Amino acid sequence: MTLETTIAVPARNHIPGNMAIWVGILSEMTEFALMFIVYFIAKVHNPELFANGPLRLNTLAGVMNTLILLSSSYFVVKAMIALRQGQIGSCLRWLWMAVAAGCTYLVIKFFEYRWNAAHGLSTDTNLFFTVYYYTTFNHLLHVGWGSGAILWAIMGVRMGGITPQNQSGLEAVAVYWHMIDLAWIIIFPLLYVLR
Amino acid sequence: MFQIKSVDTIWLMLLGLTLLAAAIAETPDQGFILTLVIALTVAFKGRMIVDRFMELNSANRWLRHSMRIYFYVIPMLIVLVYLFPDLIVRITTLQ
Repeated sequence: MTLETTIAVPARNHIPGNMAIWVGILSEMTEFALMFIVYFIAKVHNPELFANGPLRLNTLAGVMNTLILLSSSYFVVKAMIALRQGQIGSCLRWLWMAVAAGCTYLVIKFFEYRWNAAHGLSTDTNLFFTVYYYTTFNHLLHVGWGSGAILWAIMGVRMGGITPQNQSGLEAVAVYWHMIDLAWIIIFPLLYVLR
Repeated sequence: MFQIKSVDTIWLMLLGLTLLAAAIAETPDQGFILTLVIALTVAFKGRMIVDRFMELNSANRWLRHSMRIYFYVIPMLIVLVYLFPDLIVRITTLQ
């Protein structure tokens, strides 16, 4: 895309989606914040475990899932842009790509957990892996129902409930999906990168 | 407001920063500078998604501040945990 195009969004100071979705988003960000605090405290008390833990994980799986989730967020943004331009077909294609990205994330996670098991890693290997499994499995559940929410938005667009004049349903799904991406942006460096 | 060209650029930048983090993950001795780089990467990625993908840069300011502060605090904690682990152990040890 080389042409710079500007698209108007709803009035300044508006609430993207609706208040209910933001109660959910802020609650879930608080839940993830508690997990991150547990990670930091566990890490300072067990520096050896948390230095060696990331070395035993499959970094490639973590990197691929980060690239996929970031791309899925981008697809959702592109779907939002297409909807505002009245390009319903394009909007639906971007949303299907986001769903495909969510499913790919889940498949990679499945194979990552299998790889872990084959290498003798489980929830009770040590405290690092307890934190790893608790955090990543919790996040995985969010990706699962977030993908379901995008499917719901696809139905809404197809059935005419979500239109360029009535975007709040897709906006709500979009901000929720971005929240899932935000959580992973922190999880990835904490568990796979930092030692 | 969205600028189509800029969301494409932001997406590519986010992918690039992820690959940088992947390279750092393979570095044997990370040290303070690389820890700082990771913290700044988290802060930048979070800010881009909050401001541009979620469009909070032009939305309700309470929501914007609530989400932005997350990506000040977490990167700061990453650095503090690296610099002062013993102090944090003392603070978080139950007597």
